[in-house]
Amino acid sequence: MNRIQKLFSSKSKKIIPFITAGFPTKEATKNMVLAFEESGASMIELGMPYSDPLADGLVIQKASDIALKNGVNLGWIIDTVREIRLESQIPIILMGYFNPILSYGLERFIKDCSEAGVDGFILPDLPPEEASEYVFLCEEYNLSSIFLVAPNTSNERIQKVSELAKDLIYCVSILGITGGSVSTEDNVESYLKRVKDNSSCSFVVGFGIDCQEKVDWINQHSDGAVIGSHFIKNLMDCETSFDCIRKTKELMQNLV
Amino acid sequence: MFLKVCGITEAHVANHLVDCGVDALGFIFYEKSKRYITPQEADEIQKSIGPSIKKIGVFVNETLENILDIAECCQLDYIQLHGTESPEFCANVQKFYKVIKAFGMHDDFDLSLLNQYKNIDICLLDTYFKGASGGTGKQFNWQVLEKIELQVPIMVSGGLNCQNVSDLLHNYDAWGLDFNSGLELSPGIKDINKITQLCEILNIQRKAMNTPDQFGHFNQYGGKYVPETLIPALTELEEMYLSLKDDPSFIKEYKDLLKDYVGRENPLTYANQISSELGFDVYLKREDLNHTGAHKINNAIGQILLAKKMGKTKIIAETGAGQHGVATATVAAKFGMECMIYMGEEDIQRQKLNVFRMELLGAKVVPVSSGSKTLKDATNEAIRDWVASVEDTYYLIGSVVGPHPYPMIVRDFQCVIGDETRRQFKELSMGEFPDHIIACVGGGSNAIGMFHPFLKDKVRLIGVEAAGFGVETDQHAATLTKGRFGVLHGSATYVLQDQHGQIQLPHSISAGLDYPGIGPEHAYLKDTKRVEYKSVTDQEAIDALKWLCEKEGILPALESSHAIALLRQANNGFKAGDKVVVCLSGRGDKDVHTVAQYLGKEIS
Repeated sequence: MNRIQKLFSSKSKKIIPFITAGFPTKEATKNMVLAFEESGASMIELGMPYSDPLADGLVIQKASDIALKNGVNLGWIIDTVREIRLESQIPIILMGYFNPILSYGLERFIKDCSEAGVDGFILPDLPPEEASEYVFLCEEYNLSSIFLVAPNTSNERIQKVSELAKDLIYCVSILGITGGSVSTEDNVESYLKRVKDNSSCSFVVGFGIDCQEKVDWINQHSDGAVIGSHFIKNLMDCETSFDCIRKTKELMQNLV
Repeated sequence: MFLKVCGITEAHVANHLVDCGVDALGFIFYEKSKRYITPQEADEIQKSIGPSIKKIGVFVNETLENILDIAECCQLDYIQLHGTESPEFCANVQKFYKVIKAFGMHDDFDLSLLNQYKNIDICLLDTYFKGASGGTGKQFNWQVLEKIELQVPIMVSGGLNCQNVSDLLHNYDAWGLDFNSGLELSPGIKDINKITQLCEILNIQRKAMNTPDQFGHFNQYGGKYVPETLIPALTELEEMYLSLKDDPSFIKEYKDLLKDYVGRENPLTYANQISSELGFDVYLKREDLNHTGAHKINNAIGQILLAKKMGKTKIIAETGAGQHGVATATVAAKFGMECMIYMGEEDIQRQKLNVFRMELLGAKVVPVSSGSKTLKDATNEAIRDWVASVEDTYYLIGSVVGPHPYPMIVRDFQCVIGDETRRQFKELSMGEFPDHIIACVGGGSNAIGMFHPFLKDKVRLIGVEAAGFGVETDQHAATLTKGRFGVLHGSATYVLQDQHGQIQLPHSISAGLDYPGIGPEHAYLKDTKRVEYKSVTDQEAIDALKWLCEKEGILPALESSHAIALLRQANNGFKAGDKVVVCLSGRGDKDVHTVAQYLGKEIS
C-alpha cells in the first residue's frame, strides 16, 4: 500500500494544502511542508511553477512567476522532496503542467520522483485522452496518477476517469480556474453526489476553499479538501522562512 | 467527402452501407429505370436502417404531388431531380425538401445553365447519354470540374468505380461522390465486396490528406492537452463541426457570406514589375483585399456559424496583430453576439489602430498584462476565461493552433485560399501547377489554408517564419527552426522553450508572427519534409514591404512581407522562368506606425 492509499483508507477529515514549490523563497518550502504536517495537514500538494499555467488564476500565476524567478526547476523540486523525506512521511503530490515534464523526460521524471519519495501527480493539462504512457509509467513506479473531474464531466466519464486514476481523483469544484469562488452549496452537493455514485476511488475537492466552514462541509461530502490560493495569497508578504512558518501555522489553526 | 450509393433495392445492401459509414443512399422512383423500387419497398428498407444515413429519392420529370407523397411515405431527406425539371420547379420542391439537381454533362454542355438554378442544395453532374437518365456506367470529361464555380457543393456521378475513384480524388475537386453501376454485379444488384473495397480506398485517401486521426493527432503532434472542464466543450464542438462540414445548407451559408460579405473570390495578381526584376513569375494571392483586410475573416465567418448553431451567445478570442480580433469583432457584430477580445498589452501598444477598430465594432478589448504581454499570454487568458464561461461562450481561435478540433476546423475554413488559387492558377496556365508556393507562418493558418489543397500535387511548398533579429540571437519567433517538441495551448507541437521546458518569449516586428508555438499540422509537415520552412528577419521583412509598395503599389502586412522577402533571399531555389505564388495574407495599413517607428520617421 502506498502512502496515498494508506491515507485514504481512513475516513478522517482531511486538509490538503497546496503551495507552489520555491514560493515565496526556495528555503521556505521544506520548512512549510513540515509546519503544515505539524499543524494537521493530511497530504501536501506541491505546485511545479510554469510560465503558462492556464488552469490557474492570478494568485497562483504570481506565485509561479516568483518561484521561477527564484530559479526553481523540476530537479530542485525532486531534491527538495528527497530532503523532506528524511524528516517526514506525509504524502506528497506534485501538481504541474506537462511541458516542463516532457522537457525533463517523462520516464526519467517519474523514476526520479519515485526514488525521491513523491507519491503522485496532478497534471491539469494532461487529460486521460493523452495520458496512456504516463499512466503506464506511474503504475510501473507505483505512483498515483490523479486525474481531474469537473462539474460538467458526465457520469460515464467520471467512471472511466476513476478507473484510470485508481487511487484518487481531484474534483474541481467550479467551472473556472484556481482562486474562483465556490458556487452555491446545492450545485456542489449534487455534483459531489454524482462523483460519489460514479467514482470507484476516493476523491478530494479543490478550487475556492478558504475557511473552516467550507473545509468541514467539503469533508462531509468528499474525502478531503484542497486549499491553495487562500494560502498563497496570505503568504505573499512573508519574507523570511520564519514568517512563512508562523503564517502557515496560523492559517492552519483557522481551518482544522 | 460526401459518399452516396444510388440504386438501392435490397435491405442487406443498405445495412452494409450503413456499417461502412456511407453518408447517403439513393432510391430510384422512376419506373423506366432498371433499378426502380416501389415506395413501399423503399419504406421497408429505410425502416430497417435507422436515421444515421441520409435517404435520397431520385425522380425524373415527376409531378410535385407525387414527389411529396413518396417523400413523406419513405421519410426522404433529399429529392434528386434527374430529368429536365426547370429552375422554378426546383424552387417549388425546395420549399419542402432539400434538392439535388442532376445535369448530364457532355462536350457541348452550356455551363451557364448551372447558374440559373438558384434554389438547389447540391449540384450533381452525371454523364449525358441520349435517351437515358443516369446509370449509364460511363464517366464524363472531369476536366470540366475545373471550370465550374458554384455556391452549392458539387457531387460527381457517372461510371464511378473502385478503379477510377483515385484519379478523381487526386486530380479534381468534388464535394461528393455518387456511385451506382460501378458497385454492381448486375443492374440493381450491388456487390458487397466492391462496396467494402471502395470504403477502404476512401479511408486510405483520407489518411493521405492527413486529416488528423480521431484523437486529433498528426503523428505525435496535436491532441487535446487541456483542463478537464474544456473536454465536454471540445467534444461538443467536434460533433457539431463533423455533422455540419458536409451539410450543403451549411456550406452554402458559409460560401454566400464569403462571396457577399467578405468579397471573395479575391484575385491572383501577376506581379509584373518584381517578376521582371527577379527573372521568374510571381503571382500574389490577394487575401489583403478581403473585408477587414486579411485572411482571418475566412475562419471567423466559419466559426461564428458554428457558434450560432451551437446556441452560444458570447464570443471570446485572442489576438496578436489585431487582425483576428478585428475579424472576430466584425462577425460578432454581424451576428449580434457579445464579444470580448484578449490582447497583450505590448500588442495593444503596437496595434492601436486595430484596437480602436475592434472597439468601434462593439467588442470589448481586454488587456493582458501577464508574461510577455503578447499573443501567447492573450491565448492563456482566453483559455482561462473559457474554462469559466464554457456553457454560454464560444472560443473563436484565430489560427491552426490549440486543442483538437481547432487546428482541423480552422484549416478547413482557410482552405478556401488554396482551393481558389488552384483553380485560378490552372485557368491562367492551361492546367499547370505553380512550381513554388510561399506563405508566412506564425500559428500558420494562412499557410495551411494555402498549402493543404496542394499537398498531393507536385508543388514545392515553403513556409516562412519570423527570424526577428536573427535565428542566431535569442530574439526571434522561428519555432520550427529553433524550437523543440513540447505542449503549448492544448496541443503537442514544436515550441520555443528553455532547457527546463519554460516557454520562451519570442520576438518579431510583426505581432501576428510573434508566437512561440506553431500549428501541429505544420510540425507534422516539417517532419515529413512535405513543406520546407525558412526564416526572414525583421529587416528583410521591412525591406520587402517597401519594395512591394514601390514596385507593385501594394502595401502588404508585416506578416505577409516575410513571405515576400523570401523571393529575394539567396539560395531560395527559385530559377529563371519558375512560377511562384505568394500568399499575400493581409494588408499593411495596420502596420504603418510600426514601420515608421522602425525607419525613424514620425507620423502623428
